[in-house]
Amino acid sequence: MAVRCQFENSNDIGVFSTLTNSYCLVAVGGSENFYSVFEAELADHIPVVHASIAGTRIIGRMCIGNNKGLLLPNTTTDQEMLHIKNSLPDKVVVQRCEERLSALGNCIATNDYVSLVNTDLDSETEEIIADVLGTEVFGHSIAGEVLVGSFCSFTNQGGLVHPMTSIEDQDELSSLLQVPLVAGTINRGSQVVGAGLVANDWAAFCGLDTTSTELQVVESIFKLRQAQPTHLVSKIRGSLIDNLS
Amino acid sequence: MVLYNFKKLTVVPSGPALVDNVLSKTQRKTPTVTHKGYSIGRIRDFYMRKVKFSQQMFHDKLTQILTDFPNFDDLHPFYADLLNVLYSRDHYKLALGQLATARSLIDGIAKDYVRLLKYADSLYRCKCLKRAALGRMCTLISRHKKNLAFLEQVRQHLARLPSIDPATRTLLIAGFPNVGKSSFINKITRADVEVQPYAFTTKSLFVGHCDYNYLRWQVIDTPGILDHELEARNIIELQSITALAHLRACVLFFVDPSEQCGYSLEKQHSLFKSIMPLFANKPVIVVTTKTDLGWEEQLDESARAMLESFVSDSGGRAEMMKISAHEEVGVTEVKNRACDRLLAARVEAKVRGKKVQNVLNRLHLATPKVQNASRTPNIPASVLAKRKAAAQIAESDDEDEMMTGDNDDTAKQLEKDLQEENGGAGVYSMDWRKLYQLQKKDWAYDVMPEIVDGKNIADFVDPDIESKLHRLELEEDAREAVRDVQNDAEVGGYRLVTEEEMKKVKQIKGKKVMIMAESSREKSAHKHRSAIQRNKIPMRRSRLQGHLEGLGLRTEEASELVDRAASRTGKKRSRSESVGHSVARSESRGRSKSRSRSVSLAPSDGFSNVKQKAKAQEMERKRIKTGVAKYSKKGIADRSIHTKMPKHLFSGKRGIGKTDWR
Repeated sequence: MAVRCQFENSNDIGVFSTLTNSYCLVAVGGSENFYSVFEAELADHIPVVHASIAGTRIIGRMCIGNNKGLLLPNTTTDQEMLHIKNSLPDKVVVQRCEERLSALGNCIATNDYVSLVNTDLDSETEEIIADVLGTEVFGHSIAGEVLVGSFCSFTNQGGLVHPMTSIEDQDELSSLLQVPLVAGTINRGSQVVGAGLVANDWAAFCGLDTTSTELQVVESIFKLRQAQPTHLVSKIRGSLIDNLS
Repeated sequence: MVLYNFKKLTVVPSGPALVDNVLSKTQRKTPTVTHKGYSIGRIRDFYMRKVKFSQQMFHDKLTQILTDFPNFDDLHPFYADLLNVLYSRDHYKLALGQLATARSLIDGIAKDYVRLLKYADSLYRCKCLKRAALGRMCTLISRHKKNLAFLEQVRQHLARLPSIDPATRTLLIAGFPNVGKSSFINKITRADVEVQPYAFTTKSLFVGHCDYNYLRWQVIDTPGILDHELEARNIIELQSITALAHLRACVLFFVDPSEQCGYSLEKQHSLFKSIMPLFANKPVIVVTTKTDLGWEEQLDESARAMLESFVSDSGGRAEMMKISAHEEVGVTEVKNRACDRLLAARVEAKVRGKKVQNVLNRLHLATPKVQNASRTPNIPASVLAKRKAAAQIAESDDEDEMMTGDNDDTAKQLEKDLQEENGGAGVYSMDWRKLYQLQKKDWAYDVMPEIVDGKNIADFVDPDIESKLHRLELEEDAREAVRDVQNDAEVGGYRLVTEEEMKKVKQIKGKKVMIMAESSREKSAHKHRSAIQRNKIPMRRSRLQGHLEGLGLRTEEASELVDRAASRTGKKRSRSESVGHSVARSESRGRSKSRSRSVSLAPSDGFSNVKQKAKAQEMERKRIKTGVAKYSKKGIADRSIHTKMPKHLFSGKRGIGKTDWR
């Protein structure tokens, strides 16, 4: 189910957390409130870990991972990497990669089978992604934006992309990723879907400003709470049209 | 989208209040003193200013009123009609129009009187003209006090109107008085409308909001309407008619077949038929209320047929539903049905429009043509088990059980709870290591040396260091043994030093030390030496005696001379040549002794005489001088007079108009 939360008055929770099917990284905040939102929902099933990367809290934008691995930027300190390695299960490969574009979370979007990457990334990095995350890697842009990690969010169940993505692009991306996709917003009309939302195959978290219609779209496309992507066409269409136009 | 907010209109002052306000402002904000001795131009300016100021104040006040009040032509038709019903469009427009006229009249008055003031030839005439101008303006305003009072009443009423958004999703509840409209809105929203068992309890429009399908719905409760001609309707009924006519809403027409409301079913039916034209292009639901009274069984054939005809008369657009607000039966169903029908109608209308083209991509669900079957979602078994358990509970038990099941989950202690227990945010810091997933649990708290560049200190520890050290020591021992054997001979390419060489080295070193000591002594001795020339320093007694003896004097003579010299060192002796004479004379003449005593005051610290000493002291004083004193400049402590005649102290009494320089 989708949960609304806030990190220290910021609705861009995707900046301060990373969620995959086998672990969840949460930024260190002034209080444990943000952490506990994730803990309550996930801690019974996967480790929920406090982390910082290169001393910053914007871990969601700095690293990228799926259930097989975690890719950290070259600015990660050894202590941080040691802490993350100790906290994650042994089957998760933690790897630091020497990529010039160190905000990996902005440049890469991934699920457990496919990764979408910024076309400016090194070919070496692409190889590392394929090895560590065990995915097929495609360089692509979304609605003309190269920062695919910021402007889309997808899991093995489905994905939400930038609201200005054309229908043709959506179809192309959908067949590339082999998951259903829909264009939409989060946080009351924010286009940075990747920053406003973190999701895995059974849970999703979005910013506190997210409207109920947006939440409905999220739940449908990520198949949360018995919702199905087809509901977008059957059930939610009316409220979408009434709200948007 | 236009938002209608009538709550921020400024208060309209009553006629006398407006006059008082403007006159006192004029008095306070314009100059108050003039004099007949002033030049006539100045007097005219004085009064013109007053007239113009009053005119401007009236103008501003009236403009504020005219711009604040909504203009009928710009309003949404619903609000325009509602305002017409409530305040009468003609009356309202007339009031505003008359104020606008008054404004321009006041402008005209001021213009005229300012023109007249230009020709006034005395203070008295000026004053009379001003009085006349202000008087005419005030009379004009006080003639409009009824208009102002009316507008104030309108303002107060407008501010109390419910904020109805004519464009949003709306459910409109209509019907005869006392059929249960307000009970229904109270059930589905939190509007809290008064419900009483008599007709016309609700005398104006009421608004509530409810949620359905993740959307916000506006519910409007209207006063009851009776079945008669439009012209015969009163203001309360007309509000309902306005809402029905202009809001694109889903209409819920309430019918009370039990006739407990005091109106027969026929009357209710005929009302439905008469206001049918207002339902065009709107979803309509005929809601039959008060099922808890059991009218369903008691209705006779004709009444049943009458009920059926509600639907048939609407041409099939209306549908019929039953509720009992008292027993809360069918309330939610009616709400949901109404919302669904309205949403469907709105969507249909919007799809036909242009705007939906812009968001078409967001209504599209892109599905992959081919889906790889092996790409299954990775949901942990624990999550699936939990879902299954929840589904089972939902199936087998009622909602209460589910609630308790949820409570068990929330009983888990979270970090937030720990934080609250341990001093709150900012004080508590979580133990990160407790969640470490390591082979052994207690490894988590091992001390970990800091890692730098991927290595910590353990990477630099050589496990063979002990044996290596032992080997080195052995090697050293072996080398020492070899050196003992070949003592005199060269060891490792170097020759051993002989005894004599050692002695010479010691000698050289000793000499060196002595030289250094001497030199440093010299240096330290002269470090604080006086600035007196070397030849002025008095000769040592022994040296002087030796010197004198060396010149041929006898020892006692020499020592006597030396004694004398010591007693008046530095005294210039003009007759130093004739030593013997001076001795004889000094013994023979007392005067020379007294004289020698007098010069004993002469400086004995290396100066030959007083003059020289004074000169040296002067030089020293000059040397010590610093700062401004060094260059004989003016310092801050020096007294000085900056301005010889400050104007403010020397100018006389101020005359009129001579204060500019201040």
